Amino acid sequence: MGSFLLKRLAQIIPVLLIISFIIFALVYIAGNPVALMLPDDASQEDIEQLTASLGLDQPFIVQYGHYLLNLVQGDFGESFRYNTSALPLVLERLPATLELAIAAMIIAVAVAIPLGIWSATQQNSPLDLLASGGAVIGKAMPNFWLGIMLILLFSVSLGWFPVSGRGTFAHLILPAITLATGIAAEITRLLRSNMIEILNQDYIRTAKSKGIRNGFVVYKHAFRNSLIPLITITALQTSTVVGGTLITETVFSWPGLGQLLIQAVNTRDMAIVQACVFVIAILVILMNLLADILYRLLDPRIKYD
Amino acid sequence: MKKASALILSLSVLLASCSGGDEEVGSLDEGAASVDEDNKTLTIALGTDVVTFDIHDHNNTSTEAVHDNMFNYLFKRDENNNIQPELVETFEQVDELTVEMTLKEGVTFHNGDPLTSEDVKFTLERVATDDTLQEYPNYNQISEVEIIDDLTFRVITHDPEPSLLHRLSRLGSSMLPKTYIEAEGWDYFLANPIGTGAYQFEEWVRDSQIVLTPYADYYEGAVEEWDEVVFRVIPENSTRVSEILTGGVDIAVNVPPADWDRVNGNAGTAMETETSNRTLMLILRATEGFPTSDVRVRQALNLAIDNGAITESALRGGGVPTKTRIAPGNFGAEESLYDTYDYDVEEAKQLMEDAGYPDGFEMTLHSPRGRYLQDAEVAELVGGMLQAINVTVNVEFMEWSNFVEMRQAGTNKDAYLIGLGNSMFDGAYSVDWYRSNRFEGETDYKNEEIDSLLEASAVNMDEAERAEQIQEIQRIADEDMPHIMLHQETVNYGVNDRIDFTPAMDEMIYVPSITKN
Repeated sequence: MGSFLLKRLAQIIPVLLIISFIIFALVYIAGNPVALMLPDDASQEDIEQLTASLGLDQPFIVQYGHYLLNLVQGDFGESFRYNTSALPLVLERLPATLELAIAAMIIAVAVAIPLGIWSATQQNSPLDLLASGGAVIGKAMPNFWLGIMLILLFSVSLGWFPVSGRGTFAHLILPAITLATGIAAEITRLLRSNMIEILNQDYIRTAKSKGIRNGFVVYKHAFRNSLIPLITITALQTSTVVGGTLITETVFSWPGLGQLLIQAVNTRDMAIVQACVFVIAILVILMNLLADILYRLLDPRIKYD
Repeated sequence: MKKASALILSLSVLLASCSGGDEEVGSLDEGAASVDEDNKTLTIALGTDVVTFDIHDHNNTSTEAVHDNMFNYLFKRDENNNIQPELVETFEQVDELTVEMTLKEGVTFHNGDPLTSEDVKFTLERVATDDTLQEYPNYNQISEVEIIDDLTFRVITHDPEPSLLHRLSRLGSSMLPKTYIEAEGWDYFLANPIGTGAYQFEEWVRDSQIVLTPYADYYEGAVEEWDEVVFRVIPENSTRVSEILTGGVDIAVNVPPADWDRVNGNAGTAMETETSNRTLMLILRATEGFPTSDVRVRQALNLAIDNGAITESALRGGGVPTKTRIAPGNFGAEESLYDTYDYDVEEAKQLMEDAGYPDGFEMTLHSPRGRYLQDAEVAELVGGMLQAINVTVNVEFMEWSNFVEMRQAGTNKDAYLIGLGNSMFDGAYSVDWYRSNRFEGETDYKNEEIDSLLEASAVNMDEAERAEQIQEIQRIADEDMPHIMLHQETVNYGVNDRIDFTPAMDEMIYVPSITKN
């Protein structure tokens, strides 16, 4: 396990290098932010002066070299909008996003597991049809729209929850549900099809014919064997969660990474954009690593050598 | 099960709000705008966060709207937009280059330090000399501030500067605490800003909220109406509207026209509007080779656009058609060109024929989307109207940063749509957009008569004569038509009935003037 972990961690380095290159290249292509930083009536001289002082007149490879060198020292550059270094600003927002993402994952898993098991064991029953249909709709609904609808219904019409912002537990409910819906739908569908497949296998039939209680067969054999794909999809969905927070945070004015990133893109605050994307990438990589470790723990047959 | 029924409910809510009928929307049981009457917290929903607390290094009206409560200027515009002394007790024009001023006694910063001439010198000379600051171009006319004694000083300019008091009554001229900044450093000041204003800084959670509390030793007496003022940042329009509908906030800025009826129909909230100082216009290319280089074509385009129809339909009445961008309330406004417009399709067709375009032509109109009130709708309406004189308009919508870059690079085509304000409230800064050498390679408009009037008015210390020169420029521009004026925007606030709030033309949200009902 120790050497496996080391190997997996070593793999992260080239991945991060590639990510840093892609982020930098995209920002480079996106163009010169100097025009936005200066007032309307800036002269050509002002533009050239600022371009040079930011090092933007250097060739691509030199700029990227500087960028990497700073990156290694944890320096993602200065946010020109806030006039302060980018990384602390991004890390300051991380807890809010994690809070929302974790709440959403808890809701999604808590809804999806019973729903997936029920629909698999009662295949084609009205409940199954409702759950499967609901999953399709849940998957199809854009976060943005769903968030606004939830606000209209539960905040404006019913007055149960605050509309937006972060603070109390009540503030967390609606954005977490918004974010959880698509993920719950995805997990439900996957768990259902997996369980159905397993329930039709010989060893289940054998177990049933030996007179073992149905519930025991379902939970002890079928569900357990569905766990590994469940973990895969849950880990994969985590990237969806992080992506989903971008939009959900804007709708609910949730002061997390997503809102920061969208504001930064709008104002072309590239240091913030780069730092945000980098932190999100690391989150996704860590989730995948966690999934791999859980695999190993759950199924010792899986080997990575 | 619950999820499904919630879904169905949500769907029906969407259908109801999409159907647009006032009655259907009204019949929805919204209208819980119930705020605790004794609540002494005032909550204001902004669309964007403040940019910085460096008052010299931004160009952002909504940021100034927050700063206005924490800082004071030497002068301030009153409700009629006349400039009155604020921190200054007396002032006197010594000669063409020098104004001597005396500060009011007893003004202190939020840390207790008194405001002195040293602070004025520190503040104004910083912005007048540091060319990396965004406000530098608006203050580099000042050459120095000469200290006479603790409260008396002289502001000296390089050239005669008729707009000096306008400059000292706006964003960028807030008074900064010299001793505090020199002792603690800029970074500390930016995180813990202090000013002389009625409210002091409490907390700034970026993209979330700014909290202010009353300053007990404010020189005009502490404001007792509110114990706390919270500016919340809510970028999403529909969320901001929902907050005002439910009483989550007392004021919501920039409510889009589609929601005005909902806010007015809701129990406990109403819309408050005021004309802003921002005018929407089309900037035309006068460069050789473009059809719009012919003055007759420019006039024809102007005549084919029905400004009144735009303000009625796209803005639902929220706008005033105009032929000049200098609205009443600004120095040098030519009032005969305000609240009026020219519309005559037949004459437009005749002009097109005279100019050699009887069958029209094809042109590109660049427009931002979401930057100004209903900007995309306005651009499309303009395109539709020009069809009447056989001009086919390709509207190209651009994201704002691309739009800025397009202008900077001079890659603008026949026309672009832009909304321009005037934070100086001095018409000189609006007509400066006709100065020929400012837009070489971008619009290439050149009118020698305007150029010489601009040059003369810039250093003219005779107020009446300067106003006449600015008015004359507007009259020439209305004939020569380098820009087609559309309308003056309104600022639109959703306001809770528990408070009394009168919006201002300069878009400031000045808390000391907001009271409980």
